[in-house]
Amino acid sequence: MTDEAFSHRDRCAIAGIATTDFSRNSGRSDLTLALQASLAAIDDAGLVPGDIDGIVRCDLDLVRHNDLVHGLGIGDLAYMGDVSVGGVAPCAMVGQAVAAILAGMAKNVLVFRSLNGRSGRRYGRSSATQRTVGGNNTYDEFFAPYGLLTSGQIFALIAQRHMAEFGTTENELAQIALTCRARANANPGAQMHDRQLTIDDYLESRMIASPLRLFDFCLETDGACAVVVTSAERAKDGPQRPALIRAVAQGSPRNPQPGVQFPVLMRETITTLPAKATADRLYARAGMGPDEIDVAQLYDCFSITVLLQLEDFGFCAKGEGGPFVASGAIDLGGAIPINTSGGHLSDGYVHGMSHIVEAVRQIRGTSTSQVDGAETCLVTSTPLPPGSALILRAI
Amino acid sequence: MEAPRRLLPETEDIDTRGFWEGTRQGELRLLECSSCGAILHMPSAYCHDCGSWDTRWKTISNLGRLHSWTVVHHQVHPGFPTPYTVVLVDVDDAPGARLVGYLDGAPALVCGQAMRARFEVLSDEVTLAQWDPA
Ligand SMILES: [Zn+2]
Repeated sequence: MTDEAFSHRDRCAIAGIATTDFSRNSGRSDLTLALQASLAAIDDAGLVPGDIDGIVRCDLDLVRHNDLVHGLGIGDLAYMGDVSVGGVAPCAMVGQAVAAILAGMAKNVLVFRSLNGRSGRRYGRSSATQRTVGGNNTYDEFFAPYGLLTSGQIFALIAQRHMAEFGTTENELAQIALTCRARANANPGAQMHDRQLTIDDYLESRMIASPLRLFDFCLETDGACAVVVTSAERAKDGPQRPALIRAVAQGSPRNPQPGVQFPVLMRETITTLPAKATADRLYARAGMGPDEIDVAQLYDCFSITVLLQLEDFGFCAKGEGGPFVASGAIDLGGAIPINTSGGHLSDGYVHGMSHIVEAVRQIRGTSTSQVDGAETCLVTSTPLPPGSALILRAI
Repeated sequence: MEAPRRLLPETEDIDTRGFWEGTRQGELRLLECSSCGAILHMPSAYCHDCGSWDTRWKTISNLGRLHSWTVVHHQVHPGFPTPYTVVLVDVDDAPGARLVGYLDGAPALVCGQAMRARFEVLSDEVTLAQWDPA
C-alpha cells in the first residue's frame, strides 16, 4: 500500500505549543490573538520568530500569512499553506507542515488558528441578510428555505437517527458533556472551570434542536492556538519533550456529497462520519490500532460528534457508542480518556486546534488531567465534510 | 412593519433549476443519468457512477419515509419562529435520495413513518416541496 511506502512516521514533531486565554469577549483583534499565541508557541519551542520559515493557516481564519509575517517580523517566508475546511483543517494543517518539512520546503513551520468566535463572527448566526439562498454549487436552496440553517441542526438530525437505529439515549449523550465538564473543572484555563454540571442540570437544560440540548453544544469562544512543527532531530535539541508525529491522515467517504455541510445529509449513511475513512488510513500509516491509543482529543463541536467518532475510530462497535460512554470508558481511568482539557464543550471552541495543543500536553505529561503514562494521543478533526486526524507519541 | 420574511431558494441555478421547474408543475423531479439510471442528487451534470454526461430530470412519486427529524427550539432567523420541525425524508422512488421539509410546531413523528409531498406556492417563481405525515 502506498500509504506505507510513503513513510512520514515519527520523522517530525511538535516542538512548541501555546494558547491565548479563552473567553466570550477577548477585546482584541483576531490578528492580536494570533500574534500572542504564535509568539508564545515559538518561544516554547526555544526559537525566535526569525527561525520560522513556513506558516500553515486555516481557510476560515481572518488572519493571512502576510499578516503574521509582518506582525511577527519574520521577513522572508519560504512556505505558505492553506487548508480547508474549518474544523476539518487542524490535523491536516499539521500534516501539510510535515509534508513541507520532509520535502525540504521549510524547516520550522508555524500552524495557527485564531478567532473571535463569540464576540466577532459567530457560526450559525444565520445565512440570512439576503432573501434568496443557494445556487453556485452551494446547494443551500435545498435546505435553508425549510429552516435548516445551522450545523447544530444537522447534528440533531444525525443524533435522532442514531437514536432510532441504535437506541442511543439522551442520558448517554449527557455522559459526553459531563465528562468534558469534569475535565474542565480541573483545568484553570477552561472557560467552564468553575461551573459544575450534573445530570439533572443537563436534563433540565433547554432544548436547542431536539434531541440536542444546550450542553450538547460547544462553547463559542474568542481565542487562538499555535504550534510549531519541525523535524524530529531539531525537536530533540529544543527545550521541551518532543511530541513525535507518529502519523497524520486525511480522508473522505465514498460519495461524500458536494457543498460545505448540508448535503452530507444525502450520504448513504448519516450515522458514520468521514472519521471512518480517516481512521482506517491513519491507523495503517501509524502501524497502530485503537488499542494502542492511550488518550484521545476528539473533535466535539457537539456531544453526538464525539459518540460517532468513538465508533468510527474503532474504540467501540458501530451503534454501541451510547453504552460505551455510559460505561465510563471515556473518563480518566477508562479505556480511552477523552478531551482532557475540557474539549470544545467546556474548555473552548478554537475549531480543533486546542485539541492538538492538549494532545502535546499529554505527551509532555503536563495536562491538568494527565493520563498516567500516556505515550500516544489521538487527535481528530473529523466533523462533517472530509476529515483529518493524527497520532502523537512520546520518544 | 413588514412581517419577517422566509428564505427563498435560488431557482435558476444551472445545475439545480430542473428541480424547481418540477415543483412549479406540482411534481417532484430528480436528476437521473440517462445511461445507467443512477439518481444524481445533489444534481450534477456528470454521472460519477458511469461517466456519462447525458442526464435528464425524472418525475418521481410524492411518497417517502421519514429518515430523521429535529424540532428547532432555538431561533436563529426571524423568518423561522420556533418551535418548528425539519424533516429529512427518504424518497420512495429514488433509493438513496433524500429531501428536506418544514413543519409548523412539534408534531409527533417516528423514523420510518410514511410521508407525502405537498406543494407550497410562495410566488410565481417559487414552489417548495414540503412533506407531511401520510
Ligand atoms: Zn450513469
